[in-house]
Amino acid sequence: MEIRIAAKKRFENFTLAADFRIAGKQIGIFGESGSGKSALVGLLAGFHQPDHGEIFLDGECLFSTTRKINIPAERRRIAIVFQQPNLFPHLSVKSNLLYGFKRCAEKNRFITLADLVAVLRLENLLRRGVNNLSGGEKQRVALGRAVLANPRLLLMDEPLSALDDGLRFQIIPYLKSVSEQFRIPYMFISHSLVEMRLLVDQVLVLSNGSIVEQTTPDHLARSRMEQSRVGYINLLRLAAPRRVDGLFAYRWGEGELLISAGSDEPEALFELSSRDIILFKRHPEAISARNLFRGIVVNTLPAGNRTGVELACGGQKLVAEVAGQAVKELEISEGSELYLAIKASAFRRLG
Amino acid sequence: MRKVGAKLILTLLCLVLLRASALAGEVCLSVAASLKDVINELSDSFARQNVGIKFLKNYGGSGALARQIENGAPADIFISANLEWMDYLQNKRLMDSASIGIFTYNTLVFVGAADKKVGSMRDLPKLEKIAIGSPKSVPAGQYALEALKKAGIDKQLEKKLVMAKDVRECLMYAERAEVDGAFVYKTDAIQAKQAKILFVVPEDLYPQVTYPMGLTLTGAQNKDAEAFYKHLQGEDARAVLEKYGFPRK
Amino acid sequence: MNPSDYDAILLSAKVAIAATFFSLPIGFAVAYMMTYLKFRGKVLFEVIITLPLTLPPVVIGYFLLLLLGRRGWLGPLLESIGIRLIFTWKAAVIASAVVGFPLLVRSIRIGMESIDPHLIQASKTLGAPWYDTLFTVILPLSFRSIVAGSSLMFARSLGEFGATIIVAGNIPGVTQTIPLAIYEYVSSPTSETMAVSLCIVSIIMALSILFFHESLGMQLTKRR
Repeated sequence: MEIRIAAKKRFENFTLAADFRIAGKQIGIFGESGSGKSALVGLLAGFHQPDHGEIFLDGECLFSTTRKINIPAERRRIAIVFQQPNLFPHLSVKSNLLYGFKRCAEKNRFITLADLVAVLRLENLLRRGVNNLSGGEKQRVALGRAVLANPRLLLMDEPLSALDDGLRFQIIPYLKSVSEQFRIPYMFISHSLVEMRLLVDQVLVLSNGSIVEQTTPDHLARSRMEQSRVGYINLLRLAAPRRVDGLFAYRWGEGELLISAGSDEPEALFELSSRDIILFKRHPEAISARNLFRGIVVNTLPAGNRTGVELACGGQKLVAEVAGQAVKELEISEGSELYLAIKASAFRRLG
Repeated sequence: MRKVGAKLILTLLCLVLLRASALAGEVCLSVAASLKDVINELSDSFARQNVGIKFLKNYGGSGALARQIENGAPADIFISANLEWMDYLQNKRLMDSASIGIFTYNTLVFVGAADKKVGSMRDLPKLEKIAIGSPKSVPAGQYALEALKKAGIDKQLEKKLVMAKDVRECLMYAERAEVDGAFVYKTDAIQAKQAKILFVVPEDLYPQVTYPMGLTLTGAQNKDAEAFYKHLQGEDARAVLEKYGFPRK
Repeated sequence: MNPSDYDAILLSAKVAIAATFFSLPIGFAVAYMMTYLKFRGKVLFEVIITLPLTLPPVVIGYFLLLLLGRRGWLGPLLESIGIRLIFTWKAAVIASAVVGFPLLVRSIRIGMESIDPHLIQASKTLGAPWYDTLFTVILPLSFRSIVAGSSLMFARSLGEFGATIIVAGNIPGVTQTIPLAIYEYVSSPTSETMAVSLCIVSIIMALSILFFHESLGMQLTKRR
């Protein structure tokens, strides 16, 4: 999927001036509230027209003031998943799902109801009315409805923001699998860095109505480490737990990571703040933290008066954060060997 | 504050009550619609000659007028277009029986657009719509319905009759050509601009159109009303009646 | 009650049903325009639509007469196609329709305005052009308000007098609806009491429609 926009639109209290070109399958737009995310969605979807400019999708011109082209929203084949599910209350789940499908030209109908229901596991929801579903179920149906319309681009405008944490990370795998199974590119808009990192491989940063940066999610996370209240969030996908003394032990390279908030699920995703990793120059004698490992420094990231230290450990990469002073004291540099200590309670399970 | 309020209410009340009863110099007339022009002229000239007298005139279907008087509407003099409604008020003991007399007479005609090929009662069933005064309360309509019944065509015209609230409204419908024709008095037809008299209703089909007049009980107490009532029986009145096409007698 | 009373009741029902039936599609279209479209002169349009609500019905009747009468603005045109409206049952329907129209439109508008605009956006992105969205989303979701508006208009039609008497006249069996029949009875001293039975019928009809309308409203709030 390739999007090219060079457009401007004046709203009541701010101006959107989008000028970028991006290609990929899973693209993210990252911005705080008020940065213009919804305005951008409006332009792409066709709800608003730019004051002047052009919008191209996969080489087709959706809008152009000079060429006087404006393809109406219903013909752009861009389906949207909103923050609220916006399911049609007067239709059943099945009718909701098929709404876009019925309006899709036969030659474009690659995804069928059966396929979709299987991937999103909606079998037992089909007969029900939409008013008694839970928030997560509704959002899954909304996702299904958008996908079943066989769009060429799936636009997701903060689709997870209204859900609580547990639910959010349950739905994220559905988003990914839907995109992969059905080969639909998506544009994911959010203010959550973690969601970005899990779902997209390129990010456009939107601030005050214009794109100020084009980068990868991980890069973005690192550059924000300084301003972030929680430092850099390490996202760890761990597997094969077993129970040990009231804790869960996950495979970690040659050894095991001990985590208090684990689960019996074979796989789980965890969050670990860079500020919760303590570094030692030499192997400490005895410490209270249950996790102690060796790691090799791969990179250092200056961040004001603190420094991020990226280490290879347990077959994965971790970023720890230390005071600038500590770098000198521990003689941290690329290639140095250090020891890491992490409390079992420092990990937060995401889903 | 409260004292002012009470005084205000009292004043308003007085004004209202005084208005309700005829002030000295006021004469209330309830007259059949067909006499509108005649009575307007007579009352206007009388008021000019007798400064201080004010006329409150109410024209309409005689039955409706009778109902209003029965329900307390102020009236000093009542002139009806048929005997029925005068009898009605007499029976309700609202009239000064001694004063009752006949004011004038009239004839019933059928008017319509000049191009209508209607020459007699027998031609009426050909038409689509005919206006008559509502027989329940308008004498002109009562006379007309009698005539239709006597001529044997009332059933045929059943759904074609447009009910008017008085004879002037009848005329108006005919003038506007929304109906094909209307039953009005000869005196009304004379006023017509667009509608023409197509035929005179044969007199044997309906009772003579008689206009009884009388003073009401309240009218009998009203000196000015009495004066005007006398005037209505005088030479001036006869002349005006003749002017508008009413028989002199 | 005598036969002409039954005529009046039947006629009133006929006129009210016809007026509501024919006003529905127009009312729906107008409500749609007022809710979803932007156009120049929208305020003026709204004022004209709401005008019958504030004008005395006789004024409306007179205006209709000026418009549709034999000597009126459209009179000659209508006559050339052989259409005669004044003093017919059709005129009674037109009078009721004009007088009740603002009530219908208002009610439907309220229903439409309460539809979440995001649903309409969603419908568009799923490929529905405006008329598709209109029938598959807007119509079903405003259905209750359409019924409410219709019942209100129906009730108003049953009671219509001022415009009706001017433009349809008082023709027993043809245009004499219940209010006109009662008026005729009440104008005459001797038949005043006969008006009572018709009045009672009128009240019963009005009450039942209002009950229906209210219970609809309650259902609406229960759903929420």
